[in-house]
Amino acid sequence: MDMIGGTGSFRLKMHSATGLGDSAAYWEGRVALEGDVARLRGGDLDALSTLLTRYQNRLYRYLLRLVREPAEAEDLFQQTWLRVAEKIRQFDPQRNFEAWLFTLARNLAIDHLRRIRPESLDQPAGDPTGETAAARLPSHERPPIEGILARERAGRLGTALETLPLTQREVLTLRFEEEMKLEEIAEVLDAPLSTVKTRLRRALERLRMTLETQYPGESWQ
Amino acid sequence: MNGHEKIRELLTLLAAGVLEPREEKQVLDHLRTCEACSAELEDWKLLAGGLRRLPTPQPRAVVVERARAQAQIRLSEEFEHRWNRSVIVGLIVFAWVLTLLSWPLVRLLTGGLLGLLVPGFSHAWIVFGAFTTSVWLAGGAAAVLLSMQHRRERRLA
Repeated sequence: MDMIGGTGSFRLKMHSATGLGDSAAYWEGRVALEGDVARLRGGDLDALSTLLTRYQNRLYRYLLRLVREPAEAEDLFQQTWLRVAEKIRQFDPQRNFEAWLFTLARNLAIDHLRRIRPESLDQPAGDPTGETAAARLPSHERPPIEGILARERAGRLGTALETLPLTQREVLTLRFEEEMKLEEIAEVLDAPLSTVKTRLRRALERLRMTLETQYPGESWQ
Repeated sequence: MNGHEKIRELLTLLAAGVLEPREEKQVLDHLRTCEACSAELEDWKLLAGGLRRLPTPQPRAVVVERARAQAQIRLSEEFEHRWNRSVIVGLIVFAWVLTLLSWPLVRLLTGGLLGLLVPGFSHAWIVFGAFTTSVWLAGGAAAVLLSMQHRRERRLA
């Protein structure tokens, strides 16, 4: 998995917890997160800073997948953290902080899209330049040729992903990029598990169909 | 829909890693005997792997720092408001207790212990009541004006 920053290492540990050491790291991560959230609820500014650092890349990526415009995603990123500061006292510590954070971001993004581009909520859209936000991003720590090829494939996959409707884009990014469990996705989307499964299946089928139509014979490995 | 078609529908979810253990076992049992489905699953796994390896976009550092600064200011404001609210509520409770206690105290000092046992409104009671009410009204009006000014300042900031 291609991860960047401190957030990545935490997620990587969380989801590859196979051995005793990994499991310990996972629980350490969880305890640290709960501690930070508790301190934030008490008004600790350093805890806010720690959480922002931990989630900055993931939250921004999620918002970018939803709105597709970097400038809008950046604006929503700032609004989300303002909302966190305003609402943290209302957050129930028994709930999953991550799901709560992504729900706040999602609500802001959907309100924004409803106001600015209401048609984008249900219509698939493509980038007129053919270049996606993902395609403009650097690939990390790969040899040059392999890196170029991988970036090109990722760019095509990113382009195809952006053509999906919002409901399908978000379920794919939550599952494969954020690596959320089905239950967590259902909490963020405020939808039943069966609906999430159906959306996930349809999104994958549609993505594959788009790729096979646009780039026949391409490998996504 | 036959069994084979049903299993084919589950292949996407298996690649996504969201099948129930019971369903997963059912699919894996089928895959042992069905080459077409095994090949199909490999395709879905490639797609899922590609999605997992999409590059992670990063927000610009200036945006992160601005978000951090703004959120910290807002958090401080929220807690300052909460503290102010608590102090105001405490002061109001204290003032009411003081007011209510002061009435029988004044009565006690001016009319002796037996005066407490004689209810009814005298001239002193009416003056005292009017004075208390006017002080509370003035205090309330001042609090409302201060709150409005504070909100205006927050909007401008």
